[in-house]
Amino acid sequence: MEKLLDIARKVSDQVEIYSNEQTVDSISFEDAKLKDIDSKLQSGTSIRIIKDGRLGFAFTKNLIDEKELVNNALASLKGGVEAKFNLPFANDLPHLNTYDPSIEDLTPTTIVDECNRIARILVAKTDGQVNIHAGRVIAKISLKNSNGLNLSVKSSHYYCSPEIMYPGSYASISRVMNTKKFGQIPGEHLDFILDIYNKSVQEAIPGSDRMKVLFLPETIYVLLWRLQSATSGKSIYEKQSPIADKLGKKLFSSNLTIYNDPLNDQFPGARTFDDEGTPGRYFPIVEDGVLKNFYYDLHYADKLDVQPTGHGFRSAMWGGEAIANKPSPTLAHLYIKPGDKSFSDMIRSIDRGVIVASALGAHSGNIPNGDFSIGLSPGLYVENGEIVGYVKDAMVAGNIYETMKNLVAIEDRLYPAIMGTYPALLFDDVNVTTK
Amino acid sequence: MLEELRLILAKIDADYADIRYEKMRETTIAFNGKELSRIGSDTTDGYVVRVLKNGGLASVAFTKFADAERAAKRASENASLIFRNIKEPVKFAKTKVVNDIFIPALNEDPRNISIDEKLEQTRNYNNIPLQHKAIIMTNLWYQEVIREKYFLSTEGSKIREDLITTQLGGMITSKDGTLLQNVRASIGGSTGFAKLRNREEVFEQKAKLAVDLLRAKPVRSGVYNVILNPSMAGLFTHEAFGHFSEADLIEDSPTMREKMRIGAQLGNDILSIIDDPTVAGQLGFYKYDDEGVKARPITLLQNGVLAGRLHSRRTAANFNEPLSGHCVAEDYRFAPIIRMGNIFIQPGTKRLNELFAELRDGLYILDSKGGQTSGENFTFGAQYAYSVKNGKQGELVRDINISGNLYKTLKDITAVGDDLMLCESGGCGKGQINIRSSHGGPHLLVKNVVIGGA
Repeated sequence: MEKLLDIARKVSDQVEIYSNEQTVDSISFEDAKLKDIDSKLQSGTSIRIIKDGRLGFAFTKNLIDEKELVNNALASLKGGVEAKFNLPFANDLPHLNTYDPSIEDLTPTTIVDECNRIARILVAKTDGQVNIHAGRVIAKISLKNSNGLNLSVKSSHYYCSPEIMYPGSYASISRVMNTKKFGQIPGEHLDFILDIYNKSVQEAIPGSDRMKVLFLPETIYVLLWRLQSATSGKSIYEKQSPIADKLGKKLFSSNLTIYNDPLNDQFPGARTFDDEGTPGRYFPIVEDGVLKNFYYDLHYADKLDVQPTGHGFRSAMWGGEAIANKPSPTLAHLYIKPGDKSFSDMIRSIDRGVIVASALGAHSGNIPNGDFSIGLSPGLYVENGEIVGYVKDAMVAGNIYETMKNLVAIEDRLYPAIMGTYPALLFDDVNVTTK
Repeated sequence: MLEELRLILAKIDADYADIRYEKMRETTIAFNGKELSRIGSDTTDGYVVRVLKNGGLASVAFTKFADAERAAKRASENASLIFRNIKEPVKFAKTKVVNDIFIPALNEDPRNISIDEKLEQTRNYNNIPLQHKAIIMTNLWYQEVIREKYFLSTEGSKIREDLITTQLGGMITSKDGTLLQNVRASIGGSTGFAKLRNREEVFEQKAKLAVDLLRAKPVRSGVYNVILNPSMAGLFTHEAFGHFSEADLIEDSPTMREKMRIGAQLGNDILSIIDDPTVAGQLGFYKYDDEGVKARPITLLQNGVLAGRLHSRRTAANFNEPLSGHCVAEDYRFAPIIRMGNIFIQPGTKRLNELFAELRDGLYILDSKGGQTSGENFTFGAQYAYSVKNGKQGELVRDINISGNLYKTLKDITAVGDDLMLCESGGCGKGQINIRSSHGGPHLLVKNVVIGGA
């Protein structure tokens, strides 16, 4: 990395080198039996050079020839992509507990044994098909720039996600455990999926209506995806946000607080700096229903003449590679503040409604506008405070700027889920369409 | 390269092993509005080794040649671990040993075109929507992916195949007050750069549509009878039916295997569905899959009856069905999984005006906007629709998202058009992305479709 930095420094005003290494073992069980073990030993390097206010960008998996990588970046520089920002300098950052060395000794055999244990428990208590995905990830990210910045972070991650599938379908109830080291999955996770599944084995048809809708933590991303789009510095700059003029205004129910917190090292993946080296901090997006902040990387902060907020991540949706992406504004550590209702109290408070247990089609529809229109895979129908069956041929639709005004209850716990760590949320008056 | 791979394979203690090396060159040019946001060409590479030992199959993807031995050892250990934990050993269906080099013919090889010319072409198309006042943003990109793939197996197969994909497209966004609307435009494929020339009308039509959608009515949620255009029919075939034809998705589900047994009557007799990666010129074209099996056309549904499915060597043996050549990896970071190549409904006999007359009242739904399936259920978006009354096309309608159930919907397809169009861009995300996932079809009449509205 040092050699690469030296070569690039000679031909540019500023240089940044980002590199990563990853070891991954993923284990999958289908129908309660071991199916696959896939491993990955991956690494890569990407470079950004800035010269005369223009950006050159290049990446490679195997850094064999430093000059070639710099030449690719120089070729890219000729295109004239604008870059007026300054790379940061910040080296003395607080220590976070992101890595547990015991992850190195965690073997696939131990994970397979744990999955076998889980499978035995679940199979004894349900007729549904049991699938389990588990694995470990060891990752290292290093970042250097020509201003003397030299940061790195090593992280460990163990995950285990058992699911019970509905017959004839891949619709399932699941709950994931995300930790920094191996451990047995908590019994309450297994009880949760068993309880929900076993109560909902009969198909229910709720009929089309506006009703109460509860999003499990696993499906909150459907709503927050829209909010992330609207509060990104990129959308603000590109005038693609419907709430660009709403800072300080009340958008949602006053019990809703949504924040980004990269420093919380209770869960895997905590970070003191983003992928550009800007320090991260607790950062409210919505506080008590009021819109507090938009989030930026270096580029869009410069474009809009505001301070960067530490949200430049090489986010790689759909399984893309971090090294192949330039940083862009990303909420990589999103949370919703827990409320005061237990999950069972929330269910009991529903006279008639649907639980969104897993969503289909969150990525289609008019995301910038805040619209969502998702299939249920499955939904669960609740009547008089009891889950009475599962719903499959139905859609839940709305616009988050309407729906999230009607928040009636927030669960008192957080669960790791897609795109963040969330409690369950219960809304009133949401459109449900069925055949 | 093949000699290097042979040395790795020679050291593996297994019943069967294969190794894939890929070198990938990606060229990306992206605009956000008038601003160029990215330009450059990058080369990456990597290896995937698979080991079948005592009936356990495991894979390791690695970046550095120096890691080859470690990777092979780990694959071997994991295969043994699998063997100790499964009841039924994994077997591979027999395939022919292949020794071949396949480099597809191109109409203008993108490697012979300067990056300046590619930039100019992208800029020209990007400027078309930006001339409209109501269009506030474009996110358009040029993407060229050149994959050189080398495959070697302990059975003796040696294959080099190149896959070259050029695409130009993205999102066009319009705005009125706080209302935002967006549409997608996309051109390109597997046949070379020529496919990207003289296509101004695509961007003109989509720009106008983005503007018109600002004044379109939102759809009312409910259950509708609809006509799907070929783009929607293709997405529908891919999401609603195609994924269930992938044997790896149903292999370990006794309930789904029962529903998807060969001979099951799933649709009306007007409905026949084929997956054929070998149709020349279409996006999904390839000769060999990533297990070295030659791809061939598979009739999946014949007059409504399930007739075949897509296989890997593992699933073909497990189902005792013929190999199809559909086990494909995104790139050098992944072991192959079963993917559709080019799936479409066979054209029927109805002209579009006959479909409108049969529909009478409902919606004419056009151009896909992404979809997802849970096997039995699916949801997908459309870019726009027209209301249809008394068999006549009416006003423009927006916010179209459809949901349905595979088994019910196949029976609800009641008429099939006489046309056939295949898509120019793919992008299926079954754990891995497949940018060459191709689909299409004729116009279709579908009854009882749930539309969510917004």
